Amino acid sequence: MKDWLVEIFGNPTGTIIFQLLDASQLTIYLSLIAFVGGGVLALFLTTMRVSPVRWMRSLSKGYVWWFQSVPLLMLLFLCGLGVPHLFDVQITPWTAATIALVLFTSAYMSEVWRGAVESVGEGQWEAGYALNLSFIEILRRIIIPQAIKYGLAPTVGFMVQIIKGTSLAYIIGFQDLMLIGKRWANAPVPGSEPFIIYPLMAVMYFCICYPLAIYARRLETKSIQRT
Amino acid sequence: MNELRFFEIYRSPEYVDLLISGAATSAGVTVAGGVLGFILAFLLASIRFWKVPVLDILAAAYVDFIRNTPLIVQLFFIAFGLPLLLGYVWPFWAHALLALTINFSGYFAEILRSGFASTAKGQLEAAAALNLSKFTQFKSIILPQTLIKMFPSLSSQFIFLFLTTGVISEIGVGDLTHAGIFIESRSFRSFEVFMTLTLIYIALALTFKGLMQLIFNLTLGRRV
Repeated sequence: MKDWLVEIFGNPTGTIIFQLLDASQLTIYLSLIAFVGGGVLALFLTTMRVSPVRWMRSLSKGYVWWFQSVPLLMLLFLCGLGVPHLFDVQITPWTAATIALVLFTSAYMSEVWRGAVESVGEGQWEAGYALNLSFIEILRRIIIPQAIKYGLAPTVGFMVQIIKGTSLAYIIGFQDLMLIGKRWANAPVPGSEPFIIYPLMAVMYFCICYPLAIYARRLETKSIQRT
Repeated sequence: MNELRFFEIYRSPEYVDLLISGAATSAGVTVAGGVLGFILAFLLASIRFWKVPVLDILAAAYVDFIRNTPLIVQLFFIAFGLPLLLGYVWPFWAHALLALTINFSGYFAEILRSGFASTAKGQLEAAAALNLSKFTQFKSIILPQTLIKMFPSLSSQFIFLFLTTGVISEIGVGDLTHAGIFIESRSFRSFEVFMTLTLIYIALALTFKGLMQLIFNLTLGRRV
């Protein structure tokens, strides 16, 4: 693929585009890991948040408040530099970026899902308890199937935030689209000036994010029409 | 585990001064960017509301583009790309302010647009029946309701955006993050420094939240 790009765009533009596309894979992988990891964590947090146990609700509430208040940049610095320094451990940029983004994602996602669960009427819970179902059973069989329709659109919309969030991971040395692009923009190579590279990178991020944004918008109009 | 030595930061007047001036810069640039961004967003949302030909398509494309690209790429383009392309020299903070204004405007414009669009049809029909001009309808019916309804969204979006402004340190603006990175490189107390910064950011965010509520109570809140 590199040869094609070089043939079409010439050097160094072809090489630059190839390297940026190559690096954008990492952006996508990191986003997916953050989405899946954050999603799993958010599932626990949301369950705790709506559970009948008080300390679980408080714990989940505190967690979400804290990780929604900490700037993502600080989270990256803390995971990549602060905590490893404190405990004298070595941590790769991959691990640090993953942990920071998973924590960030879980807090926001569980807040979205809490909203979705609370949109389901209180009567559904009461009906479930009247049928002698347990808390988990009510959640799994009655509440979640109905909550999905409220939660889906904002969840897809939040994926855009995650992808944009990954652009900060270069600060702790994660080799994604952002780091490679920045390196090229700083290189004294004609054809890799910042006013060429940054718009190119913006277009790449846009191409990853925009389909998701459109999909989220469509889901939203669909759910409005249904109700 | 290493010892926590927060006092190494707090006992140095130089570090404390840096943190204070950094926090002031962060807050100042954010507020200025927020106000300018809101004005720009208001223009963009109005253009879309009035369906100004051609311009409304451009405004929609602008908002979509800003909202779907990372702030840091926008910032780097404005700070490093544009000056080279157009041949001008600005201080760092001016680049940061321009980037934040543009970034904020995209998010605010989307909130305002959905607010304008959600005004109940019946109210506009009633206004038309009273023979109010389109402009009066906008000014006296749509705008106040939108601002009241959308104030919480605007306020929380502003605070969310404030928490992303740390990236302006990357182009050399002496904001809070910049101060932190400097202190970290001198003292090597990474955890303590970034924890301190986090707490300052949270304190500033809470202050902004309180101020926004105060502004609401003093202005729009009286109409409710």
